[in-house]
Amino acid sequence: MLWRKMWRDMAENKIAYIACTIVIAIGLMTYTSMSMSKDHLFAAKDEFYRNYHFADGFAKVKAIPLPRAQSILTDVEGVDQVNGRLVKEVGVLTPSLENVYLRLISYDETQRHRLNDVQLLQGSFPKIDSHQILLADKFFKAHALSIGDQIPVVIDGQQVELTVSGSGQSPEYVYTLKEAQAIAPDPRTFEVGYLPYEDMEMLFGQKQMVNDLVFTLKPGVSFADVEGKLKSALKPYQLEALYEAKDQLSNAMLSEELKQLEKMAKSMPILFLAVAAIILYIMLKRLVESQRGQIGTLKAFGYRNSEIISHYLSYGLFIGLVGGVLGGAMGTALSGVMIDLYQSYFSLPNLVAGFSLQYFLYSLLVSTLFCLFASYQGVKGALKLQPAEAMRPPVPIFTKKSMLERLPGFWQMFTMQGRMALRNTTRNKGRSFFTFIGIVFTFSMMACFFSIGNMASEMIMDQFTHVQKQDVKLSFPVPLPRMQTVRELQHVRGVHRVEPMVEVPVSLRFLNHQEDVVALGISNNASLYQVFDKQGERVQLPQTGLMLSEQIAEKLGVKLGDVLEIDSIWAKEKGKVIVERIVPQYIGSNVYMKQDTLLGLLRQGDFATSALLTIDPKELTSFKDQYSTSKFVGNLEIRQEMIAKYEQLLASSTYTLWIMAVISVITGFAIVYNSSIISLAERKRELASLRVMGLTSREVMEIISVEQWFLGLAGVVAGIPMAIAMNQALAKGMGSDLYSIPGTISLEAILQAVVGTVFAIWISQQWVSRKVRKLDLVEVLKERE
Amino acid sequence: MAAIIKVQGISKVYQMGEVRVEALRDVSFEINQGEFIVVLGPSGSGKSTMMNVIGGMDTVSSGEVYYKGQALHQATEKVLTEYRRHAVGFVFQFYNLMPNLTAYENVQMAVEIAKNPLDAKVVLAQVGLADRADHFPAQLSGGQQQRVAVARAIAKNPDLLLCDEPTGALDFTTGVQMLKLLKEFSVQYKKTVMIITHNAGIAEMADRVFYMKDGRLESITVHSHPVPPEEVVW
Repeated sequence: MLWRKMWRDMAENKIAYIACTIVIAIGLMTYTSMSMSKDHLFAAKDEFYRNYHFADGFAKVKAIPLPRAQSILTDVEGVDQVNGRLVKEVGVLTPSLENVYLRLISYDETQRHRLNDVQLLQGSFPKIDSHQILLADKFFKAHALSIGDQIPVVIDGQQVELTVSGSGQSPEYVYTLKEAQAIAPDPRTFEVGYLPYEDMEMLFGQKQMVNDLVFTLKPGVSFADVEGKLKSALKPYQLEALYEAKDQLSNAMLSEELKQLEKMAKSMPILFLAVAAIILYIMLKRLVESQRGQIGTLKAFGYRNSEIISHYLSYGLFIGLVGGVLGGAMGTALSGVMIDLYQSYFSLPNLVAGFSLQYFLYSLLVSTLFCLFASYQGVKGALKLQPAEAMRPPVPIFTKKSMLERLPGFWQMFTMQGRMALRNTTRNKGRSFFTFIGIVFTFSMMACFFSIGNMASEMIMDQFTHVQKQDVKLSFPVPLPRMQTVRELQHVRGVHRVEPMVEVPVSLRFLNHQEDVVALGISNNASLYQVFDKQGERVQLPQTGLMLSEQIAEKLGVKLGDVLEIDSIWAKEKGKVIVERIVPQYIGSNVYMKQDTLLGLLRQGDFATSALLTIDPKELTSFKDQYSTSKFVGNLEIRQEMIAKYEQLLASSTYTLWIMAVISVITGFAIVYNSSIISLAERKRELASLRVMGLTSREVMEIISVEQWFLGLAGVVAGIPMAIAMNQALAKGMGSDLYSIPGTISLEAILQAVVGTVFAIWISQQWVSRKVRKLDLVEVLKERE
Repeated sequence: MAAIIKVQGISKVYQMGEVRVEALRDVSFEINQGEFIVVLGPSGSGKSTMMNVIGGMDTVSSGEVYYKGQALHQATEKVLTEYRRHAVGFVFQFYNLMPNLTAYENVQMAVEIAKNPLDAKVVLAQVGLADRADHFPAQLSGGQQQRVAVARAIAKNPDLLLCDEPTGALDFTTGVQMLKLLKEFSVQYKKTVMIITHNAGIAEMADRVFYMKDGRLESITVHSHPVPPEEVVW
């Protein structure tokens, strides 16, 4: 019989219970979907890495004879297997204006246990001496290629036709970025392709030479154990980079993503479950309060406390079960969507969505326990009631005026409805507090999400409107003589300004910290690459010292004035530099020096590794035609294309932010609606009396709404510091070597969040005012229940 | 004396689940400006329904109701709200004060919505609560709360004061004080007061007494010399 009572109680207030169930379901949905996706990603990654022999270490040199490479590495104790490869980047000629590049990687056909091996997805591996290529599957698909198609590439200034033999993927390029500065993979413009070593050595005229080494370590050996020895062994061959699997770009990005996902899967559901618990607590407490008479009657009949408590717990149990099942089901569905999304970024085989009973049951258990706990908290007061006492209505006692009322003039500003509303906020302090917390939550979540959106665009705007102002950036595969290059480029038609750049990998050491970064040597009076401080003021480069990004400074634990040891595989010997400035940097993590200072440290002569240009837009196309195929140009980057790419990326993340914002609004709605409904139920008689006295339903609604707006205002005010704190935590959590996020909240984000919060309050009041209009006036003249 | 309320052949039928309840059956009467009327009748006789109809809180199934010539039986919710706001004052059996407003604020709230209100402080003084103006209902006795309720109804300066068992929750002495207040209001401001009660004793002070039974207005008694409230006994 009590079950029937529960059903009817719930049906009476279905919106409130539905809202609560939805909030719980959303919390569990985030949990199950993220956990399932994470598990699948981990499993797919581990399996792929294992089956296709992901290497432990990577080294790049200018050139080394293949047999020498094999012997050097196997001579170093601890190194297990070594593969030497030729890795070259080439431009692909396409009818469109886009710059398309392929990184060609050689493989040894005779070897059976290849490191970073390729999983064949379609077609076959290339035949030797037939100019065939096995393409990364994402490139193959992005260009809608078929097996047998020809793709024209430029090798040393010569056009070469390669025939597509098939498509595949490798653990080395699960997440393919051209360089660390790129934010997202773009398989249309950059991917990898595999050719037999014999073809590569012939095409590039590098007989018996390799420029890229990958190796594994013997069990129990760490990268640090062999690093020093390898460095000195490879130094004669102009070592350009030496790093372990952890720092390999694709792996680093994948691990970072997995780490984020794991963090989110832990924190997000707690947030939503906490909100749901609050709502449930408020609702059940109120239910018990409004049913004092019934509880008294039940007790008078001889119902035991345990029976009464379990009756009210059944509400929580029911919501917990429904929310858990719903959340688990929605999460499974969402994890499918997420996996699809990951598949578009990550080239992982066997990455398929699947149902995980473990998480489903776990979410059910969590939600049920959570709801039972919340409802127990709400109903435990029922235990204490004596039957006779329970049947008497509780009387809210108002005997004190609040502090605010004593402020001269302040109290007079309000109408009587306003005064009632303000006093109501202190009438049930617990509930007002929960509403307040709910609004703080809604507001700060939204401010935070909007802010991330703004921050991302700030990062990009910062990079492309302030820092890098060139129209075109040319990167040279081999360093070129500085002055000569500038002179030549200056004479090209349409070119306005040319600034040489020196970008070299360096190791910085301070006490026992070491960081490998790219040092940027910026020319004197450079105007196309500038650095700014937090206030947006242009920073002058120090004359002799070094300027560091904040992240690097933090990692090395250095402050202004510290002296760092600087080493580069490009340098003749180690040097020392003083830290003269520390600046924020959003994309990438660099150290900056004056070009001459950097070149002086390297002592390798006067060279440039890239050039920044401004150019007449009309001449851009012919410039591109002329230089994209030049063997002196490794990469030609056009600013407008970069901006467009970033904007596209932002648009897709905006979508996610909107979803989060909508979730926040729903949560805010659920909280405000619930507490309004409760207020309404408690004061039915009062409010109906006011209607009888001739107040319009709008005026009566005002009493409830002013209370909510008042709490809303307080919530927003308190939400601002909360949002800033959340944002800073988030910026810290999301930042990485590759990019960092400014931890500030913009006024714009705050205003957007205010609009969202106001909307949540307003919409819930629309629902409540329907109930006010339906108040039964005749009821108030009847006797008390 | 002009009629301010004119009721012609009203009936009210409720459908309570499967039971059809005829709360009012063909009731007709007129009420004049300044009259003091008591409505008597047993429970379920239709007194409250009749008052709800006159007070603009309920509609009729058939028949006509006019306030100063304005048809209430076909008025919209908006018109009825305006009518209650400006023309009617209610005194409830259980006071129905706003618990979070002080005595003064409870009265002032009514003053704020009325067109031609009396001064809240003056009215509170008239009901003898000048020194309790700053107290919340929880700090007042039942009689004091009912006096605030009366003050609240009077302060709007309505043409029509409707009281549902105003003495029902009070002891005899306090009850008499209440009736005195109502009578004074009626005389002093020439306003119509209608009291619904089970209590036949109160009927002695009325200008006219309506007897309700089974939804019908059974009879009307006219007192040419009503008894002053102080002499009413029950």
